[in-house]
Amino acid sequence: MSKEKLHSSSTETGKADSAINKWLDDRFQLAALREFAKHKSVPKFRETIWYYFGGIALLLFLVQVCTGILLVMYYKGTEDSAFESVRFIDAKVNFGWLIRSIHSWSANLMILAIFIHMFSIYFLKSFRKPRELTWYTGIGLLFVTMAFGFSGYLLPWNELAYFATKVGTDITGQVPVVGKFMLTLMRGGADVTGATLSRFFGIHVALFPGIFAIFLMLHLLFIQRQGMSEPEEWAKLDPKEKKTIPFFPNFMLRELLIWLIVINILAVLAVYFPWELGKKADAFASAPQGIKPEWYFLFMFQILKYIPGKVWLFDGEVLGVLFFGVGIGLWVLVPFWDSKIKSGHRNKILTYIGIGIVVFMITFTTIAWIAG
Amino acid sequence: MKNRLILIITLLFSIIGTCKLQAAPGNDECYNCHENLDGKVQAPAAAFKTDVHHLAGISCSGCHGGDSKNGDMESAMDKKKGFLGIPQVKTRYMVCVKCHSDKKTMQSFGFKGGTEQFEKLKESVHFKPSYNNQGPIADCITCHGAHGIAKVKDPKSKVSPLNVVALCGGCHSNATFMKQYNPGIPVDQVIKYRTSVHGEKNAKGDANTAQCVSCHSNHGIYSVKDPRSTVYNKNIAKTCSGCHSNSVLMAKYNIPSDQYEKYKTSVHGKALLEKGDAGAPSCNGCHGNHGATPPGVETISKVCGTCHAFNMELFEKSVHKNAFASRSLPECETCHGNHGIQPVTDEFLGTGEKSACIKCHHSGDKGFIVAAEMKQLMDTLGMQRKSANEYLDKAEQLGMDVSDEKYSFQKLKQILIKTKTSVHSSELDKFKNELNPGIEIVNDAEISGRKAIENYYFRRKGLAVASILVTFLVVLLYIKLKRIERKDNAK
Repeated sequence: MSKEKLHSSSTETGKADSAINKWLDDRFQLAALREFAKHKSVPKFRETIWYYFGGIALLLFLVQVCTGILLVMYYKGTEDSAFESVRFIDAKVNFGWLIRSIHSWSANLMILAIFIHMFSIYFLKSFRKPRELTWYTGIGLLFVTMAFGFSGYLLPWNELAYFATKVGTDITGQVPVVGKFMLTLMRGGADVTGATLSRFFGIHVALFPGIFAIFLMLHLLFIQRQGMSEPEEWAKLDPKEKKTIPFFPNFMLRELLIWLIVINILAVLAVYFPWELGKKADAFASAPQGIKPEWYFLFMFQILKYIPGKVWLFDGEVLGVLFFGVGIGLWVLVPFWDSKIKSGHRNKILTYIGIGIVVFMITFTTIAWIAG
Repeated sequence: MKNRLILIITLLFSIIGTCKLQAAPGNDECYNCHENLDGKVQAPAAAFKTDVHHLAGISCSGCHGGDSKNGDMESAMDKKKGFLGIPQVKTRYMVCVKCHSDKKTMQSFGFKGGTEQFEKLKESVHFKPSYNNQGPIADCITCHGAHGIAKVKDPKSKVSPLNVVALCGGCHSNATFMKQYNPGIPVDQVIKYRTSVHGEKNAKGDANTAQCVSCHSNHGIYSVKDPRSTVYNKNIAKTCSGCHSNSVLMAKYNIPSDQYEKYKTSVHGKALLEKGDAGAPSCNGCHGNHGATPPGVETISKVCGTCHAFNMELFEKSVHKNAFASRSLPECETCHGNHGIQPVTDEFLGTGEKSACIKCHHSGDKGFIVAAEMKQLMDTLGMQRKSANEYLDKAEQLGMDVSDEKYSFQKLKQILIKTKTSVHSSELDKFKNELNPGIEIVNDAEISGRKAIENYYFRRKGLAVASILVTFLVVLLYIKLKRIERKDNAK
């Protein structure tokens, strides 16, 4: 092809592009949006890698939505047919085994990604003013994701899920004052039954996605409005000294690259370690050995096991629940009690507390895992 | 309740007070006087003359209270001396119990038997309250009588082996009486019993043959549904063996005594005694209970057919029916045996050493050929099943879900039962019709197993292809990114 022809062809493509742009601009006034995108940038420094985990969590959420919609086409949320429908998905539906396995793995990886994202925000102190609300919507997203995990775990209606849900809801029942009410509300009665399954299914596919979507929209809106958080050290730097990379296309392409790697990891996990279905739940069977909740609840579960039945005048389990309640409360409220916000200095105590919590969680999760 | 308690206590005291009132037969003034009276008041004394208690020196006051040594009627029958008159129906058994439950008292009369009769009776079905609440349904006097009581082995005793059937039948053959307690209870036991081998011999005066008490026991009689009952389905073989395993006793009747030992090892015995399968037959399942009799040569298939209905139906239409009859061979028993009947294995069919067919059929005859072909088809199904199972097991080990296919083997169980049943028709076509669905199931299962294994490897290959594509995209993207960044740096 001659240079002239090449030139004329690219000129024609350019003309077509500008025609489309004009057409869109006339209707949606996209020029401002394009300008915003052009100037949006991401700080480039030693810790930039942590900025990708929010995007990873978003990717995994999208995977959850897609695979979840596919699963719901065959899943039946009743005591009599839940287990059978999942077995049918695994055995008979084309690529059903893959969809279910991806859904389960992606759920777990999503929680892991959100945890990493949350701790990176904490250590980088990005929750500070003016991003308190971004922190709260993020915490909201974590809680809803964990609730997604808890409710989804029961849906295959297998032995492990049944007894783990029983133990999990029992712990909720220990919450002072409202515990019993919450227990009954969650279970749809005194015990884990078909009623529990129906409501878990309902909230898993209808209520939680709605709540999650609201939190997610607010979270993304706040980030776009306030821009990416910059490291504390940059406060004293001249704007010219601050290194950034453009969001479009640089950061976007990097994120896409990481997404592809995550998809690859997800596929390997789903194929080589498919999520087992096990035996159908039987309320009259004795609980199998090694009943434990999902890994993200394990550290709490293990600590509760260490607390004696009676501590002075108080019930051990109630004290344990209170301890975690207060701990989580303080964690959530960190933007309020972080005393050195105004001074702008690095708050080392805060960092040490964070490291302590991470070590605490990893240690007890590992102990629980080894103990089986 | 309070009145009843006072009554019982008064009765007890009076009994205790009168228990030692023994007198030599000649010194019993009550007896002496009543013996010389007429009619109604004389009858008890007349019966008491030969009563085992009278002969043992127990006076009337032993049961009725009072002072039997005293010749003065008013003084002898003084209530202050514990005179009871006729004991009340509700509590009259206490009169018997006060001595018969006391070991020392019984030993003082030279009685060497047990004293647990009342303890057993208390628990028995007969001691439940009667419909009109006038004491228990049956007490000591109901069966043993009052004034003419004889030793159990004495032919005059109401409970002697030769009389006890009539005694029990007095109530149990009376539909009007029995329906007061259970409208559905049968009342034909005595009629059936009289048609049984036991009943016939008993009627001829053989006291060694079984009668009501031999099987149901005496004082501790429970409902047939009660596991404590000697005739409860799991206990009945043991009960029968009480006599039928007694080689000395059975020798008199030319009957073997190894039935119980054989039964215990049989498929029926194991099902009932070890697995607790209440549907499995015990002795009465084949021989009947009250009308117990050995099944005849021609009727045995009817007896077995009460449970094995399809086998019987097919056998009766088969060529074997007439063939067995013409040779006087017992139908089911010829191939399967009787008391020691063992589970049927595949080797039971065909022409091998353990085959039942070769007892009559010989090489070259039609039955021999059919038996050989049936066995070959069964073996083929067995091999195909094993092969399919191996594929399914391997697929399962690889983590593939083949539970549906494994579940389909449940149907195979049913098919195998039907196929083995169809052997009784002796027709090869019927046999094949039952067997072929089984062949289809194992073939389908094997195909599914193979597919699952192939699918397992396909998944891994598919993953490899997808991974390569994604990795290729990652590399392309990385190159593109580097180009953009180089361009940006150049600016």
